[in-house]
Amino acid sequence: MTAVQHVFTESLPDLIDASEYSRYPDGTLVRIRISVTDAGVEILGDGLRPELIEQVLAAIGDGPMEQMLCG
Amino acid sequence: MDDVTLDAGPRWRTAMFAETAGGGRVRCTLCPFRCVLADGQSGVCKVRRNDGGTLRTASYTAAVTHLTPVERKPFYHVRPGASVLTVAGPGCSFRCDYCINSRLSQYGRDDDAPWLGEPARPAELAAEAARAGALLGMSYSEPSLAPELTLDLAAHGVPVVWKSNGYVTPEAIAVLAPALLAVNIDIKAADEAAHRRLTGASLGPVWKAVEEFRAAGVWVELSTPLIPGTSASPQTISVIAARIASIDANIPWHLLRFTPDYRMRRAAPTQPSALASARAIGREAGLAFVYVERALGSPGRNTSCPECGTQLVDRGVWSMVHNRLRDGRCPGCEFSMPGRW
Repeated sequence: MTAVQHVFTESLPDLIDASEYSRYPDGTLVRIRISVTDAGVEILGDGLRPELIEQVLAAIGDGPMEQMLCG
Repeated sequence: MDDVTLDAGPRWRTAMFAETAGGGRVRCTLCPFRCVLADGQSGVCKVRRNDGGTLRTASYTAAVTHLTPVERKPFYHVRPGASVLTVAGPGCSFRCDYCINSRLSQYGRDDDAPWLGEPARPAELAAEAARAGALLGMSYSEPSLAPELTLDLAAHGVPVVWKSNGYVTPEAIAVLAPALLAVNIDIKAADEAAHRRLTGASLGPVWKAVEEFRAAGVWVELSTPLIPGTSASPQTISVIAARIASIDANIPWHLLRFTPDYRMRRAAPTQPSALASARAIGREAGLAFVYVERALGSPGRNTSCPECGTQLVDRGVWSMVHNRLRDGRCPGCEFSMPGRW
């Protein structure tokens, strides 16, 4: 299994609205959007625990994984 | 300054804030750790080291160059709606257990944080910022570890802002303050023990830096992430709020959600109710400007006049929607709003 390449990106769309936070106090919500683009298949994940999103994305494929930075 | 490649990763160059310490050792005076380094030894930050009796730095680096709204730093009292061209290289003087940016900040400590980036080109970065009508920003990792780059960026005339842990010595602040428009500093704990546990560093110098930057004319905003076991309890929030109010009740205070990540994956994310309580505590302490970016909706982000209540700046998530300030003053009562407008 190859190591996942992490890429820092300027911006990613939100799939979760702040009004949903209180419904998932343990942070188990993960939302995934799969799109077919000119470049191939794009999988966007959003969640309250980055670890869960990364597990899902890693299980789907080993392409580069983009993440936003804090600050 | 000279560039020297000592290995396949960082480009090391002569660093500022160095003193000879005898026996070939060098003392770094940039941050309050004040590391005394033998030849070949790196400091706590891992991006400054003694190379044959000369202190060198790897932080003159651009690993990330992003154009984002000033509200994302966050700054709410600095040029609302402005863009910031943010430059970041690897490295941090703290080792916070919750760091979402650990793959960049924890270079030298974690295998998951490899060396990234190339030597920064200040003239090109300043030109890019100017073309975009943007400020220059340094964040994501610890900007105070890059004083050489900060000064060279500022020399090109574009205002520079930092998002920092505030772990900087007074002598470094004295040199760097003229180059900075604004700094947002994290206050991550209310007491020394908790701060050391979380970050590996003392809290006292952070508060001192807040006062030193302000005394030097740099605009300061503060941020507190609600970290379980460190800063999330109402008692802790109350102590931090009181300390801020004792300095200046007009310092904007940003309350940030904790996200379980890095070495703190078991804890739950911050609930909106906890942020609402923390905001109420801040207001009860007398703070005029307490902000929550997302969890409480637009009322958590908007700025109102503390004198007459007129709503002055409306914000979306990481954006400015409407700014009613006139030359930094409230149109309702002429109150001069603190900030850099």
